[in-house]
Amino acid sequence: MAGLSSASGEQLRAIAMLRWRLLVNALRSVRGRLNLVSRGLATLLVAGAGIGGGIALGSMAWGITRESNLELLAIPLWIVFLFWQLFPVMATAFNENVDTSSLLRFPLSYPAYFLIRLIFGALDIATALGLLWSLGLLIGISAADFHLAPWALLVIGSFTIFNILFARMIFVLIEHWLSRRRSREVLGVVFLLMMVGFQIAGPVLGRYSKKTGPERFLVLQKLIPVERVLPPGAAASVLLNASRGHLAAGILFGTLLACYSAGAFWILNLRLRDQYSGENSSGGEKRRSPDLPATVQPGWRIPILRGPTAALYEKELHYFSRSGPMLFTMVMPLVMVFVLWGGRKAFMPHQMGFVFPVGAAYCLLVLTNIVYNSFGGEGGGIQFLFVSPVSFRRVAIAKNLAQLTVLAIDVSILWLGVRAIYNPPTGRVIVFTLAWYFFAVPLNFAVGNWLSVYTPKRIDYATFGRQRAAESTILLSLLVQFSAIATGAAAIFIGKRFFSSLWASSVVLLVLALPSIVGYFVVLGRIDRIAQQRREVLTTELCRD
Amino acid sequence: MDAIVTESLTRRFGDFTAVQDVNLSIAPGQFYGFLGPNGAGKSTTIKMLTGLLAPTSGRMQILGLDLGTHLVEVKRQIGVVPEGMALFGRLTGSEYLNFAGRMYGLDRMTAAQRAAELLDFMELSDQPKTLITDYSHGMQKKLALSAAVIHGPKVLFLDEPFEGVDAVASGTLKAMLQRMIARGATIFLTSHVLEIVERLCTHVGIINHGRIVAQGTLDHLRSVVVEGSSTPTGEKMTLEEFFLQTVGGPRNSTQELSWLG
Repeated sequence: MAGLSSASGEQLRAIAMLRWRLLVNALRSVRGRLNLVSRGLATLLVAGAGIGGGIALGSMAWGITRESNLELLAIPLWIVFLFWQLFPVMATAFNENVDTSSLLRFPLSYPAYFLIRLIFGALDIATALGLLWSLGLLIGISAADFHLAPWALLVIGSFTIFNILFARMIFVLIEHWLSRRRSREVLGVVFLLMMVGFQIAGPVLGRYSKKTGPERFLVLQKLIPVERVLPPGAAASVLLNASRGHLAAGILFGTLLACYSAGAFWILNLRLRDQYSGENSSGGEKRRSPDLPATVQPGWRIPILRGPTAALYEKELHYFSRSGPMLFTMVMPLVMVFVLWGGRKAFMPHQMGFVFPVGAAYCLLVLTNIVYNSFGGEGGGIQFLFVSPVSFRRVAIAKNLAQLTVLAIDVSILWLGVRAIYNPPTGRVIVFTLAWYFFAVPLNFAVGNWLSVYTPKRIDYATFGRQRAAESTILLSLLVQFSAIATGAAAIFIGKRFFSSLWASSVVLLVLALPSIVGYFVVLGRIDRIAQQRREVLTTELCRD
Repeated sequence: MDAIVTESLTRRFGDFTAVQDVNLSIAPGQFYGFLGPNGAGKSTTIKMLTGLLAPTSGRMQILGLDLGTHLVEVKRQIGVVPEGMALFGRLTGSEYLNFAGRMYGLDRMTAAQRAAELLDFMELSDQPKTLITDYSHGMQKKLALSAAVIHGPKVLFLDEPFEGVDAVASGTLKAMLQRMIARGATIFLTSHVLEIVERLCTHVGIINHGRIVAQGTLDHLRSVVVEGSSTPTGEKMTLEEFFLQTVGGPRNSTQELSWLG
């Protein structure tokens, strides 16, 4: 690349060394070592998904090529494309391990800066899996028709370059928008709609599949010409035309794919050049004109809560009400109802009575990040909690009450949704659901309180998808959640199999609720001591910029 | 009874000793400036005195109460502005002060009334709907101080309260602190800005490499003759001169970094 000198090479090596040192230095703490173990397990999962997915997609491509149905190659290419571009949005979401834009203070040439942003930014799960899956496709096509191998290499190579450039382009655009709090919040709503959209896509497609053949054919006829000019379709069209000897058409579609890559490169280049030339992407908020002076309203009067507990509860609800992700949790129960409604005929036509408990379990699941990292949003405020004359036991109780309030609102919305779409849940189903909550909620709160103090991770309540709890917290919380759901399922099995009654299942869960509630109070009784022991970790982790 | 007493206060981080055998005795009503170069142990000491950090050994008493055994009672009587300011960014200024007041045991109405007065005094009342995260640095410092004093503490701990604050905001902060001293409160303050310490504080302690190297009234310290001092006997030094001579002035670097030109 023009403009790259030996000094640039030295800078690239220095940055690689920086990332290595950050990893090694993180191992100095027990928490860092635990996170590395969790990361190692996650890497194994990713490797499994990458190799498994590569084999599956490769087999699909092999079958399609073998049967000379190359127009269907667009399907695996779309799978790779959608995953590569959407996974970062939905999961890891625009979170570079090292903020490479901060490297601008060093005398980097623009080509070196561009390369650094491209290479180090692309070291993520989506790229790793995308590359492995693309390799699977290449091997599958080449194995099925060796004459197509050079074309496949060219097309899959171009497709890979396009995906890398396109993903980086999305990243820098989103990074630009996220640099301001207000646009961050607006973007949060966009993420919300996207995630809801994807949840709904399954049932919608499921219902569409129930349409008659001619109706489906008409829709497909309208969609295919559009699909062909989009990157995965264009890539498939190159191979299709090459296999039929239509060289000109193949080159045309190949050129189209190259144009997409060039477009992504151009936009990426524009944004990075702006950054390189000194655009302050982390500029402050636009200064507001002064509001009209107003008297200070007293805090809320909450009937059963007094003093600091009421103040803490009010503060938690203020935080929740100003949080995009919290809005998300309010919507999710309804989405769940809709998902179950869409798939009711396909999955459990005779079990619709379980929509309410399944939705209720989902309500608890979407609160995981808040319950298991409940101090994550405090930031510097954690110091206030330590210097104030209020016990952490009280703080934990207030937080759990606020979380319970959100859960109650979620379940109410769910109940209304279930009532509107199906029938109101029967008494025995409601009792079963409540019994499961009596078991699962204290269990989640107990482990959640403990992990919140033990492995805190700073998060911003206003931001969607850019942050996760500590890796060890994620693993343990998933373990608890799946255990709780499995226990509910086991209780249903026991009740139905041995007593032919859901009431018996409820009794089983109520019995299990006792140790769960005791465990909650045991953790609560020790939370002050644990918080005092962990205060340095809490303040250091949560107060960092 | 002294407001703040420490005996052999020590804090180690692994092999590194951040604070060693610190003995303080600060009488009620004193405005105590705690000085030291970067990494000397100022923030570690203030964190231990406010319960943010456990000491490795030694004793601390605030207003006659042992911090190890009466932590909550002590916290009720002190106000703290720690290094990170301890703010909840997604509350408005008034919500935060209301919250702080109630956390310190004030009832709803009293907390609201004091919050209004403090916002007015600190000139923060014209943006009641703005979230703290959108405040300027100076506004955040003023708000942090307001939260620290809303319950009328007898002892106030301030870690670098003037850092990054402009002259206007600094003036408001100083006015608030002088008001508290006039009413008999004790203030323990760390700062890098020696002029401010010289102007505000009655007593000064200097910490270097984790040990107290000098303490006393400002007048007393300025008249002390430091070994090797160039100041003529009988003539008072400025606090900056005394500080530099006590902790060691800038190193003689004529032979170093010759490549800098």
